[in-house]
Amino acid sequence: MNNPLLDPDGARRLLLGNEAVVRGALEAGVNFVSCYPGTPSSEIPDNFRMLAPSLRYVFEYSANEKVAMECAAGAALSGALSLVIMKHVGLNVAADPLLTMTYTGLPGGLLIVSADDPGCHSSQNEQDNRNYARFAGLPCFEPASAQECKDMGKAALLLARESQQPTLLRTTTRIAHLRGPVLFGPLPETPAPIVPFARNPGRFVPVPAVARARHRALAANLESLRATAETSPFNRARGAGEKGVIASGVSRAYLHDALMSLGGEDGLRIFELGMSWPLPEKSLADFMRGLKILLVLEEGEPLLEQALNALAHKLSLPVEIRGKVPPLEIFGEYSTGAVRQALLDLRGEKTQTASPLAASAPAHPALPGRPPNLCAGCAHRSAFYAAREIFGDGVCYASDIGCYTLGLLPPLKTADFLFCMGSSISAGSGFARFGGPVVAFIGDSTFFHSGMTGLANAIFNRHNILIVILDNGTTAMTGHQPNPGMDQETLGGGCTRLDIESVVKGCGVKRVARVRGYNQKALLERFSEMKEESGVRVLIVEEPCVLYARRFLKKSRDSRARVARQDASAAACLETLACPAFFRNEDEMGVNPDLCTGCMVCLQVSPSFAAWKGGAI
Amino acid sequence: MSAALRIFLTGVGGQGSLTATALLARTVMDQGLEVVSGEIHGMAQRGGVVESTVLLGGFRSPAIGRGEADVLLGFEALESLRALPYLAPGAFVLSSSEFIPPPGVSMGRDKAPELEDIKKGLGAVAAKVWFLPINALGRKAGAVQSANSVLLGALCATGVLPFGPEALRASVKKYLPAKSVEANLRALELGEEAIRAAAEKSAERPPKTH
Repeated sequence: MNNPLLDPDGARRLLLGNEAVVRGALEAGVNFVSCYPGTPSSEIPDNFRMLAPSLRYVFEYSANEKVAMECAAGAALSGALSLVIMKHVGLNVAADPLLTMTYTGLPGGLLIVSADDPGCHSSQNEQDNRNYARFAGLPCFEPASAQECKDMGKAALLLARESQQPTLLRTTTRIAHLRGPVLFGPLPETPAPIVPFARNPGRFVPVPAVARARHRALAANLESLRATAETSPFNRARGAGEKGVIASGVSRAYLHDALMSLGGEDGLRIFELGMSWPLPEKSLADFMRGLKILLVLEEGEPLLEQALNALAHKLSLPVEIRGKVPPLEIFGEYSTGAVRQALLDLRGEKTQTASPLAASAPAHPALPGRPPNLCAGCAHRSAFYAAREIFGDGVCYASDIGCYTLGLLPPLKTADFLFCMGSSISAGSGFARFGGPVVAFIGDSTFFHSGMTGLANAIFNRHNILIVILDNGTTAMTGHQPNPGMDQETLGGGCTRLDIESVVKGCGVKRVARVRGYNQKALLERFSEMKEESGVRVLIVEEPCVLYARRFLKKSRDSRARVARQDASAAACLETLACPAFFRNEDEMGVNPDLCTGCMVCLQVSPSFAAWKGGAI
Repeated sequence: MSAALRIFLTGVGGQGSLTATALLARTVMDQGLEVVSGEIHGMAQRGGVVESTVLLGGFRSPAIGRGEADVLLGFEALESLRALPYLAPGAFVLSSSEFIPPPGVSMGRDKAPELEDIKKGLGAVAAKVWFLPINALGRKAGAVQSANSVLLGALCATGVLPFGPEALRASVKKYLPAKSVEANLRALELGEEAIRAAAEKSAERPPKTH
């Protein structure tokens, strides 16, 4: 198969950080890969999926991160070199098995990739998953380049097998989505050998007596892994002087570029920490000896700063340690400019010019915004419109994670609260106990991820909630990855489709209806009926994601909508449906034929719209 | 080490600016030059702003901060102006002169700045500003999807890159799908021609290649 990720030893390719992780895993001989897609990690599994016909490994999209973690851990227990990939919040979902598998250890080896998102480019929080390295007891690698994504991915997998301890490769958005040159190493002729499973309940069944002993085993293993960190090629010190910098993760790139702009690193000692847990305390202590002042560069929480303070205190080292000093803070991302400023302060130099963070020009005032929006032809818009027609502000809307979170935007305004994947059903259930009626929206992939347990609970505890499952047949937000609800033809031979309605009924829901997403009449009727009912009601709204239908199912419509009458009805439709294909200027209202997908929802909302086929409007 | 050059690219989801970014970065690498490139596209597929970067000359961070961009490649006129704070003093700006109206403007609630205002705003900071009708030229090249190559061809013709248009032509042939090569080669040429014509018009030679 012709894919640059399979190119031979010595090839040099420009790769995304995420693509480089894939190459590293292939070089290590990975046997099993599981995941739940989530930005900024999604290109890793996307590429494993594309390369799956190479038959080098077994790959699967899992229903959620906990399942992905458990499948990968099971595979690693049975002797396979395993890899599991998720975004940072996914590791919360997977934390339960994680915090015990570090006790048992996994003979085949397991690497966990967590893609963090400082700055919340596409996430609901900016949690720092280096905390999990400390919490669970995971050797942690933090790449700062595409080359390191490859090299550390490989090294972390091989260390996982050698030590039998699960390891963590922690990337951030900037690293996952940078492109840089990567020099390839050799691909093994065959994947890693399977380590035969040796039954040992005294190790692998953590009843309390076993768990207590395994906790001690974990501590001992981490101490020997600390020795690995002391000699790791990813941990390097250089330079001389009384002022020092310790940097980890993407901050190492910012440090390099800031020093480049300042004309070099004379008079500075620099420690680059690539394998960042367990801390190589001896090397770090040696580094700090003789330093008067030390700058710690780490995005997110001051974890390294605190550990170094403790170490310096323990050894009575008279070094002043600076970490989160302005403009460096725990919020958002660092930058070359911010690091440059911190370096100038460290050197005791006044900033030569104005602040390096200052732009040469201020932002232009009041430019019209371009927020993300539901696409033209998105069936979610149709469902939200109908819900708002029937319920208005008389209910609270529980939203969930997916494109449909964008329903929060006016005029649809169908998102009042949200925590995490699957929370619409369970948080909605709890809310409705005290807060009045709730309509919950959840997508198909999110329903399979963690909506099903909330639904079972809602039936069990006789909650009062209307659940709308927006089934667009794909995992749209992250780039159309498969999920258990996808049609069988698209899934192919390797997977079996699950029918959402059967699952819902199987959970004991008595009131279930299915409608097409573009059918306003049916949507309005079902919503009206269900508004008058109580208990758990489920409406399944089916319509393929319009982007997915066009790109992958190769479906398109030859008809388009147009505004046939320039009247109040058309104006009201423009205001309340707010399709991005609509336009309005001083002369007229209309539908942009380049953007219109022919869903014809507007025709059902207002009699002033009409269909046309090709030709002039 | 070649001269440092930080290129900031901005456009709207669906325009294909990330494909253009990857093509440019691969071209730089194929020239044996140091390169790092980045992209931020959280929810961009849903019509939001897409920002990306290509940095030559030994940078390791893919990010470009405020006041740091030596070149701005704008795939949409309004987004070019929005990127103004990223420009370093004396930067080069190459931008589409065409608009993709954001929802507020389409609906008549907001008003987009006039092209003249955009030119003036960017011109106040940049040493040189070019505006090209990239979609019109893309259509002329045979496919509106090749509009991005118009901008890349124009970039090469300005001489700010340490290589000429031949390198980009080689990349189009090497990295783009066979069916779109012809239109993109033509689009590169149209971009180059547009810059040459503009340079002649202002009776000014294009800046020298590095």
